[in-house]
Amino acid sequence: MARIGVFICHCGENISATVDCGKVAETIGKLKHVAYSTEYKYMCSDPGQTLIKEAIKEHKLTGVVVAACSPRMHEPTFRKACAEGGLNPFLCEMANLREHCSWVHEKNDLTTEKAIDIVRIQVEKVKLNSALQPIRVPVTKTAMVIGGGIAGIQSALDIANTGHKVIMIERSPSIGGHMSQLSETFPTLDCSQCILTPRMVEVAQHPNITLYTYAEVESVEGFIGNFKVKIRKKAKSLDEKTCTGCGLCTTKCPQKKIPNEFEQGMGMRPAIYIPFPQAVPNRPVIDREHCTYYIKGKCKICEIVCPTKAIRFDQPDEILELEIGAIVVATGFDIKHADFFPEYGYGKYKDIIDGLQFERLASASGPTTGAILRPSDGQVPKNIVFIACAGSRDPAKGIAYCSKICCMYTAKHAMLYKHKVHEGKAYVFYMDIRSGGKNYDEFVRRAIEEDHVNYIRGRVSTVFERDGKLIVKGVDTLLGAQPVEIVADMVVLATAGVANSGAEDLAQKLHVSYDAHKFFAEAHPKLKPIETNTAGIFLAGACQNPKDIPDSVSQASGAAVKVAGLFSQNELTREPLVAVVNRTAPPMYSTCVGCFMCQSVCPYQAIEREDFKNREGKIVKTVAKINEGLCQGCGTCVALCRSKSIDLYGYSNNQVYAEVVALLNEY
Amino acid sequence: MNSLITRAKELLENKSVQVVIGYEAGPTSVARPAFITDPAKAGTLIYDERCVQNLAVYLTKPEVKHLGKMAIVATLPVMRSIMMLISEQQIFADSIVVLGISADGSLLDIADVKVMQGYIEKSDLGNPEKYKELLAELNKLSPEERFAFWQKELSKCIKCYACRQACPMCYCTRCTVEVNQPQWIPVQSNTHGNMEWHILRAMHLAGRCISCGECGRACPVGIPCHLLTMHLVDQVHNYFNVYAGTSEKMSSVLSTFEPNDKESFII
Repeated sequence: MARIGVFICHCGENISATVDCGKVAETIGKLKHVAYSTEYKYMCSDPGQTLIKEAIKEHKLTGVVVAACSPRMHEPTFRKACAEGGLNPFLCEMANLREHCSWVHEKNDLTTEKAIDIVRIQVEKVKLNSALQPIRVPVTKTAMVIGGGIAGIQSALDIANTGHKVIMIERSPSIGGHMSQLSETFPTLDCSQCILTPRMVEVAQHPNITLYTYAEVESVEGFIGNFKVKIRKKAKSLDEKTCTGCGLCTTKCPQKKIPNEFEQGMGMRPAIYIPFPQAVPNRPVIDREHCTYYIKGKCKICEIVCPTKAIRFDQPDEILELEIGAIVVATGFDIKHADFFPEYGYGKYKDIIDGLQFERLASASGPTTGAILRPSDGQVPKNIVFIACAGSRDPAKGIAYCSKICCMYTAKHAMLYKHKVHEGKAYVFYMDIRSGGKNYDEFVRRAIEEDHVNYIRGRVSTVFERDGKLIVKGVDTLLGAQPVEIVADMVVLATAGVANSGAEDLAQKLHVSYDAHKFFAEAHPKLKPIETNTAGIFLAGACQNPKDIPDSVSQASGAAVKVAGLFSQNELTREPLVAVVNRTAPPMYSTCVGCFMCQSVCPYQAIEREDFKNREGKIVKTVAKINEGLCQGCGTCVALCRSKSIDLYGYSNNQVYAEVVALLNEY
Repeated sequence: MNSLITRAKELLENKSVQVVIGYEAGPTSVARPAFITDPAKAGTLIYDERCVQNLAVYLTKPEVKHLGKMAIVATLPVMRSIMMLISEQQIFADSIVVLGISADGSLLDIADVKVMQGYIEKSDLGNPEKYKELLAELNKLSPEERFAFWQKELSKCIKCYACRQACPMCYCTRCTVEVNQPQWIPVQSNTHGNMEWHILRAMHLAGRCISCGECGRACPVGIPCHLLTMHLVDQVHNYFNVYAGTSEKMSSVLSTFEPNDKESFII
């Protein structure tokens, strides 16, 4: 005989302001099988929990319903309280009186009636609950970091320093990411390469880090603590062990007219190349798309000149299969380019460049060795215009969000220009200056006050070319929307930061969600900003949304702690609320007929095949089987199964049916 | 039909198969299914306009399966059913010999699944002409009129489940309506409960129905329940450009997501 205890929470006044909790407790107390029913101001408080624990013992309860808030908040609290009271924690259910009732209705009898119904449903359900035991799964203590930018580097180093193995994957030939392209960094104006390259070297040298560059994720299967990852090591066409990185091949390569990605197309590179001098690893790769040998079938000059005979033209891509316990996604971002802006000439004017191109111009290792020169004729621009919010905060362009970093780097750009071209004039068109952050606003003030950058609050409607000059037409909204026209030699667009190419594809491989802009989505915007909704996969850096270096690094360390926390245990415990395919006596074995449609709908690849063999070892039936470690209890397979052969622990067909019947019946 | 008999006899004699599923003349004018295991009896096989039943329904029955490797007389709907059954892993391509029958009634040389696929692909895969008109008429009705039509038709249902038994795609060993813990679908026959059953049946066949019309033909009270599944055939083809039973590797349309799927019906 079921003996159910019901505990109605007032949630301060959150519930009791509209629901008559006393009446609910009293009505429920009269129901069949309800052995105890009470109310309290805060069930989640220590005395509230004690109330439950003591009632379990005193009234010999076989099930508990806590009618309070959403189970998302306090279910673990009350399950634990039940366990401490001597009841299996899965014999505790929550009725959501707050979000489902008191918050959405006014105070009247009907609201209380609805509250009674909500509790009644759970009373009927909990009668059919069964005592469940948590599932234990082992943990593979190797992390994978996807992306070798500053966020990935920081995360990998932090995890590696806790003593765990890290596999780092970077799709380009070198780690370093966007930070390696920057000239100086705000708000201190220290050289980006100078602070980044020691970290890059540390990654290469760290005994716990295995680095795979020119590699991409092929597929991800499995679950937290037990991922099975396939990575594709793209052929570098080179034996990395034999190559000494002397670079002779790169100087002799006859194909020299390929736009250099690292220089944002402002310089050229050969087909066999090392992306930049401080690259890690410092080994060239052959870009097969542009290499003369792969296009025309002859050349092989690099092979001839190579002193160690390291070139391997027939090298295939290599697929590596790795066992991984946790994944940090740090794939970074990209920016919109000038061709995104019809109003600024769709990128047809050479002297309209984007922020990253300006970084390369200003960088000592860049195409102009740090001199600010116009791309069109190599002259020093005397008037330069920076346009902030190019694309960002512009719903008409489909980018409603603020790209966050542009205000700061635009101030930096203007400052760098003024430091290099003292007599030049710098103008910044801006919407608002968003410089929240330690020493950030001071930095912007410095640009305005000490370096005399002209900040104009207003947007630019158009830029066009006239007599070799760029005419920038905008308004100054602080002067009563007065039209402004500036004759400029060069225009720099602080273009919107967008999701990196391939982000959507990767998100689908990882089974993590992403937002409308293809940025990876966090599990909770405030309380789980590093986790994704797939357990064991964490986010670091600008793959989540545009972020500056300090934010990316902080988040990367946060992700590393999450991974280290996971790796601090030998086994993980999981909630046993998983699906199960029924088993019956032979010769049926299960009512499952093995159509395996469930397999195609399962978002977690949790459905396996189980063969039943007769005494001769011949397979007589193959049916579906749920891998408890992988199953997240979403119930999609349950809904799909035509023969109703799958059920969900904690939300069984019987329980759901009882809930529906309870609602339909009078009490 | 001598070629069919010769082929069946040959298969049984050289023990390539243990049973040939085909048609034979019944005691009345109707043809009935025949399960020939003795080569001497292959002569009773017939194929003419009376042979309309979709024999694929027997391929998943344990009492037929246990006879051994099967050969089956297969018209287009049977071949498509076989394709579906292979794709849903209910039968295996190498455990079955297809004695294909063309639209004009002659024996086809179906050496393997690939050949069968080629034949199916060349054929007209839409709903049969004779039902297209009926479907068009139904679609012309207003939703209220159509609901009234189905209410009237389904009120006749006696829940004998002949529609299910005749369907080669209804192969579950335990049908969902036989689940009584809990009893989601009521047992008794009444208009409302009948509708629940027929809607459920149609939904279970969405993207899987191969338009053989056997369910409607089997109905003892004359409910045109095949029009429900045939309407879904049109819908699935419209939204996903797919006809069921065209390849042994096809994945279920309604349980797989393709990035280029139409999503216009998502509200």
